[in-house]
Amino acid sequence: MQSRVHVMQKLRDLGGGAYAVEVDGPIPETGPGQFYMLRTEKRWPVLLPRPFSLYDRGGDGSWGSFLVKPIGDGTRAICDLKVGEKLVVTGPLGRTFPTDVDNPICIAGGVGLAPFLLLARSEAAAGRKMRLLFGGRNRDALSGMEDFQDISTVFPSTDDGSHGFHGMVTGLLDELLVSGAVKEGETVFCCGPDPMMLAVADLCEKRGLRCFLSLESYMACGYGVCNGCTVKVKGERFKGWPYSKTCIEGPVYEACELVHDESH
Amino acid sequence: MTVLETNLAGLELDNPVLSASGTFGSGWEGRQFSDLSTVGGLVSKTVTLKPRPGNPPPRILETPSGMLNAIGLENKGSEVFLRDSLPRMQELAESGQKDGKRGPRVIVNLGGSTAELVELTKRFCAAGVDALEINLSCPNVAHGTRSSTDPALTEEVIAAVKSVATVPVFAKLTPNITDVVPIAVAAHRGGADAVTLINTLVGMAVDWRRKKPVLGNTTGGLSGPAIKPVALRIVYQVRAALPDLPIVAVGGAHSAECVLEFVCAGASAVQFGTSLFSDPTLMVRVVNDLRDHLGEADTSIHELRSAMHESAARISTPGGASR
Ligand SMILES: Cc1cc2nc3c(=O)[nH]c(=O)nc-3n(C[C@H](O)[C@H](O)[C@H](O)COP(=O)(O)OP(=O)(O)OC[C@H]3O[C@@H](n4cnc5c(N)ncnc54)[C@H](O)[C@@H]3O)c2cc1C
Ligand SMILES: Cc1cc2nc3c(=O)[nH]c(=O)nc-3n(C[C@H](O)[C@H](O)[C@H](O)COP(=O)(O)O)c2cc1C
Ligand code: FES
Repeated sequence: MQSRVHVMQKLRDLGGGAYAVEVDGPIPETGPGQFYMLRTEKRWPVLLPRPFSLYDRGGDGSWGSFLVKPIGDGTRAICDLKVGEKLVVTGPLGRTFPTDVDNPICIAGGVGLAPFLLLARSEAAAGRKMRLLFGGRNRDALSGMEDFQDISTVFPSTDDGSHGFHGMVTGLLDELLVSGAVKEGETVFCCGPDPMMLAVADLCEKRGLRCFLSLESYMACGYGVCNGCTVKVKGERFKGWPYSKTCIEGPVYEACELVHDESH
Repeated sequence: MTVLETNLAGLELDNPVLSASGTFGSGWEGRQFSDLSTVGGLVSKTVTLKPRPGNPPPRILETPSGMLNAIGLENKGSEVFLRDSLPRMQELAESGQKDGKRGPRVIVNLGGSTAELVELTKRFCAAGVDALEINLSCPNVAHGTRSSTDPALTEEVIAAVKSVATVPVFAKLTPNITDVVPIAVAAHRGGADAVTLINTLVGMAVDWRRKKPVLGNTTGGLSGPAIKPVALRIVYQVRAALPDLPIVAVGGAHSAECVLEFVCAGASAVQFGTSLFSDPTLMVRVVNDLRDHLGEADTSIHELRSAMHESAARISTPGGASR
């Protein structure tokens, strides 16, 4: 694990307002779902670093990239970097999606796409085409989809029907279950906005699919010292403790480990 | 004394750079980023006798130049801490005990009722800690701050802890009171070997769209650079009133310059909290930067301590009512 200054080498427009922010290496080997804390070295407009999944990585670790969509001051500062300017990168942090699942069904919403590109690459290297269900409001919101086109089987869905399945990813998943492209007993990996993940987890439970979620919690430290990123959990792994730190015990949880609290 | 060495009520430190309670785990989590054997000391998160699950999320929110937290003293209790975390802190300390260095001092922060604090003090002194910091001031638990807004209670709690302690005891005080000086006086009277100033300032954040507070606990403690001026002011006032009571400063420190400012204002050591979230390697760099700054100015921590008070005494007396 490292905390290093990296040079921004390239900003690739992924459409829909999102960018792949590419930095020089060395980027350590990183499992799917693991993340890094990022901040710009200069002119960081906020106090705390921000968590981002590693989007892509050169096979030898000579470069890495992060998928960033500007939604606030931190993400905007990262996307405003000029080539040659520096980023402080700390990681890899957190637990990966389980590595013993062959051919998972990946479901992404928005920037929740980020953890799946490296997985698609490793599946492709093993001779498999990863199934990716990718949902967004409209065609424009499916930022990064082209990167998956050749190496995986992409099933897009849009709320307005402007591309692919007309409706939410849960509707799409249901349709794929009916068509046989997805079968009962398979495993789903999901990352996206909370309401989407909740709906996917719910559907997986009803249809007999195993489901793992990667949470995008608000974090301060990212390395387990602030106790700020906790979620309510249950189950064996937590030995009766009601809370779990998403930065070290997550961000990936099996859906059945999470306790949903309506109050917040 | 070397330029960096400092002394807290008889506890000698290689340098004045410490971690702040609740912001660096037990130090173990940070060792993966840098070699912590050169920091002056590590302060644990508040340990309570029994496990405490803490407050419901959301627990943190960034604010301009700071953050709010309402963790609620989540910890697995003293038994688990003694078994799992203390040995790791002590291992880090040992890693620095070479070439005539003392290594990071192991300071455990304790919270709870008077009876619980007495029990905890016995257990942790027996386990060989270097000092204890008593958290009289957590803003995020029911009645948490009461003991450090009431002078009589402060004195009683500290006296009870001191009656069984075999290591130096620091009283960590709250800034959420009009005047901290009477509380510091009470802690001193109770026998505190030093005071840690300050814990977080109570604040809150509102989500107007949902017409709800943002934090699960409604209010939270403000920390980070935003509170540094408040911490400096309180350190300065307490030092002016109690020149013989060593002070551990905490609140918004983020550089070697900050350490020197706190030392000038009267602190003997300085803790780093929120700034460690953005940079787990910060303390090690600050120790090196301190050496450079002191070298350039041809002075030492010892010489600089309270320097401002000596010059102030010649010019005017510090503000505040007479006591
Ligand atoms: C493990 C992990 C991996 C992530 N990976 C990526 C990634 O690959 N690409 C990417 O673009 N983003 C990712 N995120 C989310 C990203 O960290 C946040 O979008 C970012 O912190 C926002 O910072 P900001 O300063 O731009 O916005 P802020 O000013 O902090 O926030 C802007 C708005 O977004 C809300 N918000 C901020 N952070 C979050 C959050 N974590 N969850 C929900 N709402 C939030 C705020 O309440 C506010 O309304 C990830 C988060 C986690 C925890
Ligand atoms: C997330 C968080 C958790 C904290 N937990 C504790 C704690 O358990 N016990 C305690 O005495 N102080 C706790 N504090 C207060 C800090 O030790 C420190 O007094 C305060 O944050 C001001 O310093 P800073 O601005 O450098 O962070 C906590 C602060 C933060 C931000
Ligand atoms: S973000 Fe600090 S403990 Fe997880």
